[in-house]
Formats: sequence, structure tokens, C-alpha cells
Amino acid sequence: MKTDAAAIFLAVITCVASMDAEAAKPLSNASTQTVDVSVPVGRTSFPPGPGSELADAHCVICHSPGMVLRQPPLSFDEWKAEVNKMRSVYAAPIPADKIEEVARYLSTINGKP
Amino acid sequence: MMNDPCDIKRRHVLQSLAAASAGCLAVGLPKVTQAADAITLPFDNGLRELTTAFPQKGGMLLVRSRPPLLETPFSVFDEGVFTPNDRFYVRWHLASIPTRIDGRTFRVKVRGSVSRELDLGLEELSTKFERVEMAAVNQCAGNSRGFFTPRVAGGEWGNGAMGNALWTGVRLRDILDHAGVKRGAVQVRFNGLDTGVIPDTPDFIKTLTLDHARDGEVMVAFGMNGKPLPLLNGYPLRLVVPGWYSTYWMKMLNDIEVIDTPDTNYWMAKAYQIPDTPHANVSPGQTGIKTLPISGMVPRSFFTNVSDGSVLDLNRAQTVRGIAFGGNSGVRDVLVSHDSGVTWTSARLGRDFGKYSFRRWETQFVPQRAGQYVLKVKAINTDGTAQPDTPNWNPGGYMRNVIETATVIAA
Repeated sequence: MKTDAAAIFLAVITCVASMDAEAAKPLSNASTQTVDVSVPVGRTSFPPGPGSELADAHCVICHSPGMVLRQPPLSFDEWKAEVNKMRSVYAAPIPADKIEEVARYLSTINGKP
Repeated sequence: MMNDPCDIKRRHVLQSLAAASAGCLAVGLPKVTQAADAITLPFDNGLRELTTAFPQKGGMLLVRSRPPLLETPFSVFDEGVFTPNDRFYVRWHLASIPTRIDGRTFRVKVRGSVSRELDLGLEELSTKFERVEMAAVNQCAGNSRGFFTPRVAGGEWGNGAMGNALWTGVRLRDILDHAGVKRGAVQVRFNGLDTGVIPDTPDFIKTLTLDHARDGEVMVAFGMNGKPLPLLNGYPLRLVVPGWYSTYWMKMLNDIEVIDTPDTNYWMAKAYQIPDTPHANVSPGQTGIKTLPISGMVPRSFFTNVSDGSVLDLNRAQTVRGIAFGGNSGVRDVLVSHDSGVTWTSARLGRDFGKYSFRRWETQFVPQRAGQYVLKVKAINTDGTAQPDTPNWNPGGYMRNVIETATVIAA
């Protein structure tokens, strides 16, 4: 009985202490709080140019264009390999006959010889 | 003493100034140039907006908005041994990420090859099992990928895809023992709430061997630096795999599955593969190399109060300092050179927060001649592994840990 009382007393202390210090929120908050946030989606279209409508339609489903623009400049063949990977591994719905057009567009906006 | 912010005047040459007078500068461009709202990392397409638009996050370098890749600005690492939650880097693979999570209704399942399946709420999980704390570095497998030469595609990080936190949680072993792992089980597989947007995108799932999962160090964490995890770092539960790359530290962990055949899912069998060679190093274009899933981290050390282009006072003792970590073991020694690696001296190590934590280090340096000094820093871990003199290369851009260099000027 004594132990129970002590436990309750401690719990009350902990609770009060937590309200004192916003900076030291008790971890038990993790189990009682609701986290509700909004996450920016960033830019949703590629720089305009021949093929950009394909990139807008098929790449932006899963990731923002910034991923492409911040890659190192890649050759047409390297971009083609990336497009193929997006299709075959991640199931990007790029029609097979559009792979080269998308790769050509990507090597226009961020390419190297 | 380890925190004196004013010891070295960071009279960095601005890139614009350097460009305007490039012909008469004896040194290269500063490693990192900073404007008010952007930082340029020293590689192609390295311009990074400094964004404050992400929830529960302060200023972060924007690598990708969706799914978010946010890098910790390197100056944060000079501020302390623990990386604040609101500056801790963020890395997601798949874009369907819940943005609203109710801690009272969240559940994590333990299932598969167990005697009794568990379905635990946060309150139950955090009170049923013994609470443990551990300081541990969380580092992306591709941290520093942008420095690979030749460049490789992927998340183009500078050195800030890492952080050190004090994790609070419970031992995975205790949870598994409560569930009762059946004989014949070999691995434990972890899944979180995130999924791909397209149904056929492979769900992000990672697996550890049963022995590793039961080593008593692997944790299910609900606390990060004394607070609940930020949503983008995996609220409400994250697997903590001390010493191993972050790919295993499943965020928003809601499914723990004990399995009795080795996992062959894409994220274990195809992605995050490294060459089975020393330092995971191969030559660009080399083919036919056996690969294996990435695992334990390797030692690293960094300067945090000097970088390329820093100006030091002549004939005055100044503190040069930084951070180090041992990777999959502790830090035995941090060696600093003022002469491009010809001679090395041990740095003074800061407080030890445990073998998996960042460790602060510092040295005193008195430049006795004017001009350029090539400073180097090298960590040696308690397994005796030292950082290599030359950078490794592999097609995934993984496990970079070359000795770091800062070319500074005494004037």
C-alpha cells in the first residue's frame, strides 16, 4: 500500500515538473500527443522544354523535380539508365517508347557529353 | 573550453570575391560558401537552399522536397556533441508519408515466427519493458556522396547527412523475448508507415539477423534528445541500430516480423549493396564484383571550426576543433596534422558519451609562418581501424570516410 502511494506521488511530481518546463517535455508525451503537420511538396513541374510534359506526368508522381536538378550532370546513356531503373525497379509508368525522349529531356536540363 | 566560438576568426573569402580575383589567390575556393539563404557545396549542382519550410525543423539544406531529403548545415556540428532534433538531417525513400499520427492509437505489431504475436501501443511499449538510453550516431550510407569522383547518382549530400542523438527507448531483445522467438527463426524484418505512391513500388523494408536484433543494443526508440522524435525523423518509433548505417534505422516503425528464411526483398538484396572489397572500394567501371548489404559504419572525423579558406592569426595559439566517431566501435585516437600529413599529433578528446556517439576533439595550433597550411584530421577507432589516406569509390556512393583536409591561411 505504501509503495502504491509512493508511486502515485512520484507520478504526480513528474507530471507537475513536466508542466513547469516546456523544454523538458516528458517522453510520455510521445504516447499521448497527436502530431499533425504539413510537409511542403516543393516545385511540381520540370523546367519547360521538349519532353518536360513527359517528366511532369511520370516522374513527379513519386518525387519532386529537384532530385533531378541536383544530380550531377549525366550523359544521355546515364540518364537512360536512370529512367530504366525508375521504370523497372520503382514501377514508374513511363511507356517503353518514351524512355529515350525522357532521357533526352533530362540530358538537356542536366546533361554532359 | 570545447565550445569557444570565437577562437578562430572565420574570415572566409566569399566566392564572389574569390572569383573576381581568382588570378591572384594562392588558395582554391573556400570549401563552402554561404549566402543568407543558400549554401553552395563544392561540387556540380551543389547549390542548396537553406529552408525553414519543413515541420519541426529549423534551417536545413534542401536536397529534395518530396520525399524530403534535408541536410544538416555543417556549422551545426560545431555547436555541440548532440545534434538538435530540429537540425537533424532527414531522409525518406518513398513519398507516401503520414503527416498526422495520433500517439494514443498508434500500434506496432510483432508477428511471424513467434509464440505470441504482439500488438503494442506506445504507452504499453514504453512501460512494459526496461527503459534504456544510448548516444549514437545516425549516418546515411550515402553521406558525402557529392564528393565522389567521378560523381555518382543518388542523394547528393555534402557531409551533413549524419547526426548524433541521445536515444531513449526499449531493447528490441526484450520485445522479441516477450513475443517468444520460435526455433528456426533467422532474421527480423522491419517496416514503417511510409509507402510508395505507386502500388508496385517496393515498400521500404529492412532486415537484421536474429542475433543482431537480439544483441541488447538494438533499440526501439521513442525519445530523441529527451523529446519525442520529430515526425520527419520517424515519430513515434524508430529502430536504433548503433554503429550501423541509417538505412536500418526504420522510421515510423509499426511492424516487426520474425522470419525463418533470409529476406530477399529489394531493399536488402538489390539496394544498399556495397562491393565486398576493402573500404568498399572499386575502380569506376569495374564489373563482376561480388556485393553484399551495407552494414557497420567506419570511423570519421571532421573539422568544425575551420574549413578551406579559413584565416588564422599568425603567432597566436588558436583552437582547432571538431568531431569524430568510431563507426561500429569507439574512438581510440584523433590525430591532427598541420603539414599535410607529414607529422601527426593526438588531439585532446572531449567527454565520452559512449562508443557510438560523436566525440569532440580539439588541438592548439600556433602558425609560426605566414601562408597556407594544409590541416588534416584522422580518427582511429577502438578496433584499430583508421580513416584511409585516399577516398574510396563505388557505384552507390557509399561509406566515404577519407581523411578530411582543411586548407587554411595564417596571416
